[in-house]
Formats: sequence, C-alpha cells, structure tokens
Amino acid sequence: MDSKIMKTLILNKITLLLLLVFMLNSCTETYVLQSNTYEEALVVEATITNELKKHEIKLSKTARLEDDGIAIEIGASVVVKSNAGEIFSFEEKDGIYIAESAFRAEPNKIYSLEIKTKDGKVYQSNEQTLTTPNEIESIVPTVVTDSKEGRGVQIKVNSYDPTNTSKYYRYEYDETYKIIAPKWRGEKLVVTGPQSVALEPNSTDTRICYATKTSNEILLTNTTNLQEDRVNYQVRFISDQNYIITHRYSILVKQYVQNLESYTFRKTMKEISSSASVLSPKQPGFLDGNIKCISNSSEKAIGFFEVSSFSSKRIFFNYKDLFPGEPIPPYYTDCTDEEYKYCFGFSMPIPCRGKALIDNISANTVTYSYNIESSYYYTVPVECGDCTSFSSNIKPSFWID
Amino acid sequence: MKKIILALILLLLSSHFTFAQDSKEKISIEFKNATLLSVIKDIETKSSHKFYFDPTWINAHKNLISGNYSNITLDELLDKVLNKTDLNFIILNKKVVLTLNSTIHTDLPANYFADAPPETQNNGSQNSSENPVFYQQYDSLNSYSVTKKASVIFIGKENKEAVKKNYTVSGYIKNEETGKPEANIFIKVKNKNISTSTDPDGLYTLQLPRGINVIEIKSLSHKDVTKTLMVYDDGSFDVNINEKSNQLDEVVIKKKGQRTTETVISGLVSIDIEGIKNIPLILGERDILKVATTFPGIKTTGEGSAGFNVRGGKEDQNLILLDNAVLYNPQHFLGFFSAINPYTAKKADIYKGSIPADFGGRLSSVFDITTKNGNPEKFSGEGAVGPVTSNLSFGLPIQKGKSSVLFGARATYSDWILKSLDDENLKNSEAGFYDGILKYNNAINKNNNLEATLYYSHDRFSISSDSLYKYSNRLASVKWDHTFNEKNKGALIFTNSEYKFNIDYDSDDINSFDFGYKIDESQLQLKMNYLLNKKHTISYGIASKLYNISPGYQHPTNPEATLVATDIAKEKALESALYLSDSYKLSDKLLIDLGLRYSYFASLGEANVNIYEDGLPLNDATIIDTKQYKNNEVVKTYGGIEPRLAARYFFAEDFSIKAGYDMTRQYIHLLSNNVTQSPTDTWKLSDTNVRPQSAQQISLGLYKNLNDDEYEISLEGYYKKSKNILDYKVGAQLLLNENVETELLQGEGKAYGIELLLKKQIGKLNGWIGYTYSRSLIKLNGEFSEEKVNEGKYFASNFDKPHDLSAVLNYKFTKRYSLSTNFLYQTGRPITFPIGTYNYGGAEYTLYSDRNKYRIPDYVRLDIGINIEGNHKIKKLAHSFWNISVYNVLGRNNPYSIFFVTDQSGKIKGQKTSIFSIPVPSITYNFKF
Repeated sequence: MDSKIMKTLILNKITLLLLLVFMLNSCTETYVLQSNTYEEALVVEATITNELKKHEIKLSKTARLEDDGIAIEIGASVVVKSNAGEIFSFEEKDGIYIAESAFRAEPNKIYSLEIKTKDGKVYQSNEQTLTTPNEIESIVPTVVTDSKEGRGVQIKVNSYDPTNTSKYYRYEYDETYKIIAPKWRGEKLVVTGPQSVALEPNSTDTRICYATKTSNEILLTNTTNLQEDRVNYQVRFISDQNYIITHRYSILVKQYVQNLESYTFRKTMKEISSSASVLSPKQPGFLDGNIKCISNSSEKAIGFFEVSSFSSKRIFFNYKDLFPGEPIPPYYTDCTDEEYKYCFGFSMPIPCRGKALIDNISANTVTYSYNIESSYYYTVPVECGDCTSFSSNIKPSFWID
Repeated sequence: MKKIILALILLLLSSHFTFAQDSKEKISIEFKNATLLSVIKDIETKSSHKFYFDPTWINAHKNLISGNYSNITLDELLDKVLNKTDLNFIILNKKVVLTLNSTIHTDLPANYFADAPPETQNNGSQNSSENPVFYQQYDSLNSYSVTKKASVIFIGKENKEAVKKNYTVSGYIKNEETGKPEANIFIKVKNKNISTSTDPDGLYTLQLPRGINVIEIKSLSHKDVTKTLMVYDDGSFDVNINEKSNQLDEVVIKKKGQRTTETVISGLVSIDIEGIKNIPLILGERDILKVATTFPGIKTTGEGSAGFNVRGGKEDQNLILLDNAVLYNPQHFLGFFSAINPYTAKKADIYKGSIPADFGGRLSSVFDITTKNGNPEKFSGEGAVGPVTSNLSFGLPIQKGKSSVLFGARATYSDWILKSLDDENLKNSEAGFYDGILKYNNAINKNNNLEATLYYSHDRFSISSDSLYKYSNRLASVKWDHTFNEKNKGALIFTNSEYKFNIDYDSDDINSFDFGYKIDESQLQLKMNYLLNKKHTISYGIASKLYNISPGYQHPTNPEATLVATDIAKEKALESALYLSDSYKLSDKLLIDLGLRYSYFASLGEANVNIYEDGLPLNDATIIDTKQYKNNEVVKTYGGIEPRLAARYFFAEDFSIKAGYDMTRQYIHLLSNNVTQSPTDTWKLSDTNVRPQSAQQISLGLYKNLNDDEYEISLEGYYKKSKNILDYKVGAQLLLNENVETELLQGEGKAYGIELLLKKQIGKLNGWIGYTYSRSLIKLNGEFSEEKVNEGKYFASNFDKPHDLSAVLNYKFTKRYSLSTNFLYQTGRPITFPIGTYNYGGAEYTLYSDRNKYRIPDYVRLDIGINIEGNHKIKKLAHSFWNISVYNVLGRNNPYSIFFVTDQSGKIKGQKTSIFSIPVPSITYNFKF
C-alpha cells in the first residue's frame, strides 16, 4: 500500500469514531399512539354451565391505553335463549348481570346469547351446546421438587371421561388459607392521650383469619393426544416458602369442559398476553371470539359465550401433614421488632420516638410486641400482629378444621 | 506486411512491364501430398520461373496438394494450385510474384480517376466485377485514413471473376480477458446502413459489400473497437474485445447489454456493478442490492431490513443466487450492508416479472448475481477504505490467458473502535462482519470451461449485553460449460449452500443458553441449449436439490441450569425440476418464449408427523396421532407444472410491448413474525401439514427509447395471485416450537401495481426516476375462527407500501468531479397497534387492532454524494477516486420500528426507533491497480 492509502486510513479512523457513535446511539423515542387509535369494544364474559344457579354475565368496555380502570357496560338487556324456546333474562346488579331465576344448561339444547346495549347496539353469539358432563375425580396435593420453581406443593386435578369426548378442559380455582398473625399478643397498645399510651387485653378476633384468592390465569389442558380422556393436570403449584400453606389450606378447583373453539379462544388470549421471549415476539392481532355486533358489523366485541359442563371439588391440607417436622415458611412480610424510646423532646444518644409510636399506633400501621417498662416499646408491622388488617376473620362456611 | 503492400503498390504504379509473355509455356507436372512450398519449388525447376513470396504465407497454408497436370500453362496450373489458398499471383518475365489476398492489376480501371468518365454505367454485380477494389482508393475520402488506422484485415481472396455484390463475413466476438464469447454486442458498419449483434455464442454475421468496410463494435460495457476489413470474398473474422476497465464512467445501468425494447422478458432489472459506484450510499459502501431497491417493484420493509419484497411478494419468495448457489441471507449487519462484495460481483440480473424456466423454487423473483473472473493476463486488483469496512480484491493468472483466480475479502473494524470507546455500554457491544470469496476460472479449451466459487460470510452482533447473535452463509459452486457442437451446449452445475445462526444468551441467571439453527442444501443441475434453427432456440434441463434442516436447538450452557435442553427434529426433502423452453422468433417483430417447468417435491424421513383430527383446525389440541417415518422414507410429495410464457412485439424499432404469464411454486418457507426479516428467522420445508406456495403473475409492459436511446421509458403493470402464502395465527410462537404448523396459516395473496421508470443513460445529467403504485394484500380465511384474520377479508401485508418514488441522479461537472443524489419516498408500512385494554377473567389484557390496520409514518430520505476522481494519468501506481457522501441529508427521523413495552405501572407504551435520525457523512477511498 502506498503512503496515500495509509494516510487515508488514519483519516478514516477519525471519521469512523464519529460515525459509530451516531450509529449505535440510534434514537428511540416515545411514539404517541393513544389518541388516534382507540376503539371502544364490548367485552363479554359469559359462561353458563349445567350447574343449577343464577348464572352471571359480565359486560365491560375496553379502556384507553392511558386510562385506569374498566368501565362497566350498564343498562343493557341480556338474554340467553335456547332452541327449546326458553328465554333466560339477566338483570344488572352492581355491574354484574345475574339471571333472574336459577337455571342449568341441558344437553342436546342449543343456546345463544343476545345483548342489547343502552345505545341500541345488538350483539349476538353463535350457537353453543353443552359439553360432555365430566366430574372431577380427585384433587391431589403432593410435595415435589419442580425443576423451575423448586420444592413445594403441587396440586393436581384428575378426571376421566370414559366417552372420550370432553378433551378440552379449563380450570379455575379459589384458594382459601388460614392465617395466624405470628406476632399476635394478648395485649394491645392504645393511645390514651396526646402523649400517653396504655396496654389493654387484645381481642382474639385479630389472631386468626382466612383469605380467599381466585385464580386469574388461564389454565388449560387437553387430552387429544392421549389414549384415554384422562386428565392429570397441575392447576396450582405453591412453593414451600409461601406463607399461605403455613397452617391449613383449601382449594376449590372448578372444571369447565370446553369445546375446541372456546379452548382456542382462551389459549390465544393467554399466548398474546404472555411475555415475548428473547428470540421472537408474538404475532399481535385482534382476538376474535364468538360474539358479533349484528347491528353494525364494524363494532367489535371481545369474548366468548360458552356453555360448559361444570364440576368442582374442594380439598384441605395442613402444612404439618405434608411437611412433617419442617419449619414453617416465612411470613409474607418482615416481622422484626422496631424499637421506640418512649419519651418526648430531646435525648442523647438515643433519640425520643414517643411521638412516632403514638402516630403509628393511631394510624394502625403497627401493633404492640413488647415493652421494657415504659421507657422502650417494641412494635411490629400491623400485618404481623393483626390479621384483619389484610384479611377476614370470618371463618368461611365451607371451612372444616 | 505494410512494407510488402507498399512494394506492391510501387510495382503497380510503375506499370511499364511486359506481362504474361511466358505464361503460355506448357508444362507437365505431378504432385502427391506435397506441401505448397515443395509444389512451388517443383514448378520453379520445371518452368524456369522464379517465385517471389513471403514464406509465412506459404507456411500458413497447411493443406497438402495432390494432382496430375499435363501440358498445362503455368497460368492454369497456378490457378489450380492456389485455388484454395488466399494467394494470388502475377507472372512477370520469368518471375512469379505471389500476393496475399490482393490481386495485382495490370491496368487501372477506367474510372479510377474520378474525373475520368466511367466507360460503363452498368449496375449490380457486373459492375463490381469490372471495378476491382483498391483498398487505398478511399484515401481521399474523409471516412477513412490510412495514417489513422494502419492495419487492414483481408477477408477472402481477391477474385477477378467476383460476381456477388455482398459477401458474408462472420466470426466470434470474444472477451480478450476471459476468452468467453460475448453476446448481444452491437456491430455497425461505418457510413453504411449495415448492423447486427452477436448471438448468445458471440457469433455475428454481416453481409458486406466488396471492398473496404470499417466496422465498429460498440457496447456500453466494453471498449469500442474499430476494424477495417478488406472484403474480397466470404470469410470469417474473430474479434477480441476488452471490458471497460476504466471505472470512471457515469452511472450506467443497463438491461443485459441489449436494449430493453428488444428482449422478450419483461420486469428484468440488470445492474452492472461498475456503474453503481457513484450512488451515495450508507457509510460509503457500494451495494448492489441497495441499488436494486431504487428500481420500481423492489422494496425492503424498512431501513435495516434484511429481506426484499418484490412486486408485493414476501421476503422468502426471492431466489438469491451467487454464481448459481443460493445465498440464504444476502445481508450483513441486519441489512445495512449487502453480503455481496461489490468488487468481485460482476452484475446482478433481477427477474421480477417473467422468470425464465430454468429458475424455480421461489414465487416472486430471481436475483442472479455473478462474480467476475480474475484477470488471466496479469495481477490486478482494487479496493476501498471506508469508515466501517475495508475491502480488497485481486485477480491472479494461474496459467496465462487461460486460468485465473479472483479473491475478494471485506471486513469491518468496528469492534476495535467499540472497544476503544469510553462509553461502558458501547464498550461491551459487539458488531462486526467479514466475508470472503474465491473464484477459479479455467478456459480449458474452446469447448470446455470450468468455474468454481467458494464464499463465506460471517456476522456477529449483540443487541443487548447478554445475547450474542452470530450467523453465517457458506456456499460453494462448480460449473462446467461444454460445447458439444455449434448447435448444442450444456452446463453442469453443482452447488452447496449452508446458512446457520446461533444465539448465545449469557445472562446472569443460571438459565443461559445456546440456541442454533442450520439449513444446508446441495443441488446438481444440468442446463442444455440447442440452437434448432434461426427461429428456434431450445433450452432444457434438469435439477435436483437435497435439503437438510436443523430447525433449532436450545441447550443450557450452565450445568446447573433448570432449563431443559430442546432439540427440534430435523427436516429433509428432495426438490427436483425438469424444464423445457423455446425462444421462437415468429417474425422480425414478434418474439415469444414458451417455457414449461415441472417441479416435484418429496418430504423425506426420518420424521414424526402429527396427524390432526379431520375437520378441525391444526391445533396442539387436535393432534390425534403421530406417525413415524424411517430415514429417507417419503413422507409427502407435491408437484406441478409451472408455465412461463413471454412475448415481445415491436411497434417500431424503439417501441415495443411485452406480455408475460408466469406460474411459480415454492416448497420452502421462511417463518418470521417479526415485521422485518431478521437473521433469526427460520426456513421450514413443506410437509404433510404445510402445503407449498404457488403464484401466478400476468404482466404487461410498454418500452420506448427516445432521442437515439438517450432516454428509456418503461411502463409495466402486473397482477399476481398467490396461494398458500404463510402467515401466523394471533399469538403465534415460532421458534423452538415442535408443532410449528399449528401456528401457521396459509392464505391467499393478491398483489398488483404499475411501475414507471425513466432512465437517462448518457450525458452530463444521468440517472433514473422510478415511481410505483402497488398494493400487496393477503387473505386469511380459514374454515375456523382461529384461522381467520381480520374476519377473513383481504388486508394489507406487512410490506404494502402503495406509493414509492425513487430518484437516482448524477451530474458530472468535469471529468473528475461529479455529484450524485438519491431520493426516496415511500408510504409507511402497515402495523398492528395496541388500541386499548380490557379485563377478562380478572386479568388485564391488551387489545390489539385488526392486523395491519394502521401505518407507520412515511419514509423520506435524501442522500448526496460527491465523487472526486484521481488524475487520469495512464502511468500511475493505482487509479483512485474519493467518494464523500451524506446519508439522510434531511435528517428525517424515519422510523425503523415501532414496538410496545409495558412500563412499571402496567401501562403499554409505544416506542419508535430510528437508526439514522441525523445526516450521516462518510468518506471512502477507492483504488484500483
């Protein structure tokens, strides 16, 4: 290479430095998409089953991306019709449409849903029939070590359809667990004046509580590639470090036998919302259900009117039965004692915290743990000493100790 | 030679000899397989005449002479003996003077002097026989000067009894460097209305009048050649021509060296790599594929997209061939640079309309890119130093004039720069590529030619600090051309291509993994050509290709990982094709090309094929059985006829209309649910559950040249329908999916458009402007709800950009300075937006719009470049030029992608990324030695 090229090389290195900085600092900015793209659509959650009850249907509206909360569609007329001429009307109560009378979906009848909103739009579902009735056989909790989630309780549901026609299953569960406030004390601290506190006997009502949570993930399984229509599906996995199983735990598993369409609807909904992997994003798009606006084809509706055979089963288990002799899981929040030097004004080297104590007790953010005479008080977060601060102390009617 | 001629002329002018007195002398003589020299010696002894001649003339005459002559005059004897040679004779006083080609005339023709009135007024052949031709009689005419063009080529032997007016002169035009015949070279006779061009074998035939003819050989890609022919009789004359090595031309984009109005194929873009160097491009890189996208009908989804969309076709519908081997990923750096080394590439032919029957396997287009041969005469090369890459290529003769190698290499030095930066983020980034090509060429003999190419490209980059992406192309190609005879030629081609990518995901958690994908294909192909007659040229051939795909593996790299290793089962298939086509010249005006291709595809085991329940959509939940196939067992076959028809009709010499109908089939599909093609997209073969794609296109074009070919205008329209186009279900996850067919939809495609192109090839201002209006739509209307997208109606595809205007203009101020600009406007591509949220079953979900309902902002870009050429001294170490260019002069923030992220508060937000949001200057130094 001649010297000219060498010179160029050196020159170019300088240019390059500048360039690459531009190149790699490629610009990312917020792209405003809210205002012009919002489309209002009716969201319909409608599942009727072969359980005799007042079935419920939920109508809501899509929200703008920047908005919080969901608007309920009120004032609509909702009916479920069958090909036998039955008409089941629903009336709105606190944003939920409840059947006026109890009914159950019956086999060999064709059902459809009709909705007429306040502003006159008419929506209709396609026709659905009841899926094969199929009882849950058993729900089995086992202690396992999962490769992903570690050790814990695996709760599996078993069911069997000898006719081999159920195939597609959706599950929901309600879990209820007993909570014992770990730092509940026989005495509680009450504020008696601007700068005075006193100990009183504590109510036992704040020691034991029950909390119930409903699943909100979409739980689906199918048996199409199995010889027999036999479900053995994990509906729930609870880590052995989760406080909810510390004492006694109950789960009510609800099984909805789906048809392929309703199964696929939920499956797609689940896939769209699951986070995209490093490797490849998900294909986004509008999720089509089986409900259409028949008064205006450009109006959208999201949702699936499903007629499913229903079955549910509840089990209970105690921690000490599944994990005999093992230490209980840590409580969900840190229950370390916090020290308050009970004085007002200035002190050295430990500052006075009498005011803070009174403020916290008044605000019900802490509960009394213990004290050293009247010079030091120790408290814990309220959740540690009073379970009613976050759950209910009313024992559910189904609860068996 | 020159001296002899002069001597003859002197002889002629001093015309006071006594002629032919002794020529009546009778002799008897006998020859038996004697050489001409010995015959002459014999006659010398027998007849006491002395012969005068240049021995080289005699030695050039290899035929042996036999004959028995008795009592024959010397005149008659010599007539007979020299009959088959180019020699003439004159007998002067016991002396016999032999002359090559020319006859020595014993008297001047009556009309030799212009002022002398001609004795006869006869026309035609009579006249020409009476007026012998003297090749210097044109001296006084302006058209020819002996001092300027010294050498005269003699065709045939001068024959005093010449009767014909015109003689047939034919020969081959060959490339001096490569020895290969050059097709479509235009030959014109100066000041006469005679012209022709060479056929695919480089053969030309001219009807020339007797006498001096100055022929000019002109081609845009070659140096002009002027030859002076002295035509006495029918004869042959081969010409060697040289490519224009001078790379200092204006931009020349030409269509196959032939006028666009002339070829039968519509929708062909030919790009001559030499011609594109002035176009301002990103970071000073010459890029053949980027130039392609400035032509109507060829688009990319976005800046930095690796794929092309030709006439509304998907990215996977382009057959990209480098020396006949498939190049799976033709791009570096996610599409910022093409993987084709501009210094070793010779040209690219892009078939977007009519596709010749010898190509197949992709629906929309063929990018046929060929590599140069090395210079077989001397070591030579070129190179460039740019801001991001450096490039060097050189050719080396192995056996002079016969075989050579060409080597080209290119690499980035961005890594070194990144490492030396202070910024922590950049320091840990990686980005780089290199590619290399080696081509061997051996013109074994007249009938055999061998070419071999090896190519490798490698890319690596990291987008986030924890994942390193790598991908590479490897291809090999061997081609043996053989000429059986004048009418039959063939080529046997073997190619092998491999494309693979790999992701090293090295995060801090224990689930680091290594992900990989690989496709390998080998093809053996036989192409035959048969010149049936002047009207019919038949081509036929057979090809067979074996695919092997490893669709993906994911292996944890940490021994304690909880991630389970996944290996998706390999895919294998054989794709074969037979073709036959006839180029039929019905008349001077109408040329048709009838092609027929039959392709056949067999998916092979070993495979486990899912059987889905009848009457239900393909879904994980509808798998009822899995069928196992043994290795090489045929799993599923597909096949079909692919007619390829093209026709051209001349309204006038510079105005033609062309029409085409093409059907194409494709058995391999790219799975990509990114909006733009990315290196991590995977190719999937057709099988039991994935049907092959097919397309039919009709096209019509009008072509007009104006102002003596200074301007070329073309207007082309097309309508294309395709079947089984791949798309994806809402929520599809493609990578590492064992039942990937359950995520796929196969729908109908519809594309149509009008393409207008105006080109000016010559002059100070040159370049082209193209405008396209086109639509590309797709319909996914399966039987089941999950197989419908947008209610089963036609919707815009990801690359539907109705308006597309591009202009590439160059202005040459002086021989050394020129300015070039590149302007691009495109409608923004469609996108699916999140349009709201909703609550279902107690969880919040994002609501997306209908597929591709919205569009991103329009794309507008202007680039400007200045080329400064080194001085034009011939004796210089290296010829060089500088290219200074600014990319995106307007600084417009063209979106590269728009994506959606969920922030901490659970709100979805749109983000727009631009790659080059500010003007990007660059400077490149190019040299040639």
